[in-house]
Amino acid sequence: MSFEDSRFPVPVREDMTAALRRSWADIGRPGTWWTGPERVAIAALARAERIQRNEPPWNRDHEESLTPLPAKAIEAARKIGADPTHLDRDWAEATITELGDAPYVELASVVVTTVAADAFCEAIGIEHETLPEPEAGEPTRERPDNMGDIGAWVPVQVIDWQRANVARALSLVPEGVRTFFRMVAAMYSGTATDFNEMVWDHRPMARPQVELLAARVSALNQCFY
Amino acid sequence: MLLRASSQAAGQEVDLSAAVEDATDGGVEDGVVLTAFAEAVVRATDDLDTARARALETLGPAKFVEAAATVGIFNGLVRVADSTGIPGDPQMLESTADVRGPLGFNRWTGATASGVAEAPA
Repeated sequence: MSFEDSRFPVPVREDMTAALRRSWADIGRPGTWWTGPERVAIAALARAERIQRNEPPWNRDHEESLTPLPAKAIEAARKIGADPTHLDRDWAEATITELGDAPYVELASVVVTTVAADAFCEAIGIEHETLPEPEAGEPTRERPDNMGDIGAWVPVQVIDWQRANVARALSLVPEGVRTFFRMVAAMYSGTATDFNEMVWDHRPMARPQVELLAARVSALNQCFY
Repeated sequence: MLLRASSQAAGQEVDLSAAVEDATDGGVEDGVVLTAFAEAVVRATDDLDTARARALETLGPAKFVEAAATVGIFNGLVRVADSTGIPGDPQMLESTADVRGPLGFNRWTGATASGVAEAPA
């Protein structure tokens, strides 16, 4: 089992470890556009690159990749994982042209899940979790309906959307949304009702403390959103 | 910006520069400890162990876990926004019009990706 309670130096809420375990296992499963081995390879590339984030990209060690991933996917996993401030529309469009929009979104969902879990481990003071064993099986290749253009680099859900845009950023791959936003709910936002309340009593920290952390992490990554 | 909204809801006036400046608590309890902890994790600085120990000592175990979780998940959330170029929400853009320029947000690379830099001030 991943994220064993005994690994943590202090007690971690059960709903948080449960979400981490489920999402971590998801990485190893066949996805919508990538196989289990491909998804684990994406996670490994993102992790290896992010570990070297204080080195400039041209100065990082890249082990000879034995993954079946196309070169553009390898580049994307590394770049999103370690250099989010270097992402721009031109790069994304070139990458999406080569990979396809939905495979790109799924790749991003695997990277962000990996990075969030790794950063949590670093913050709480434990080694990164061992990557999951990849499972056999084929991707479902199911593309959802009701996708449209709201000015993002990828299509997103456009019907009856009432929540923050970031929550639909990965909606071209619903499985990716479930995997990552399960962790978001457990580690930050709680339920939709909790999130809309400006005074929190469902978390030990006051909401301004949580939002100051969020703002600082966003600022350090030069992400206004 | 939810930092401002949540502080106002709690009857506090927050200094938003705490999001971008070192050694400023912004009027948030334990703000200096929190931001130092976040920065040490994001930048993988040499004093991460010290920042983590200080956070645990100051906050106590339960709040420390929440802080670690928030830092962790926002390292993912910023990449969701930055890798998809998702536009900023109109309400967010409106509520931050007065601070984006002074605090330098409009110059960030992510501000271009999310359309923030072009939004009316």
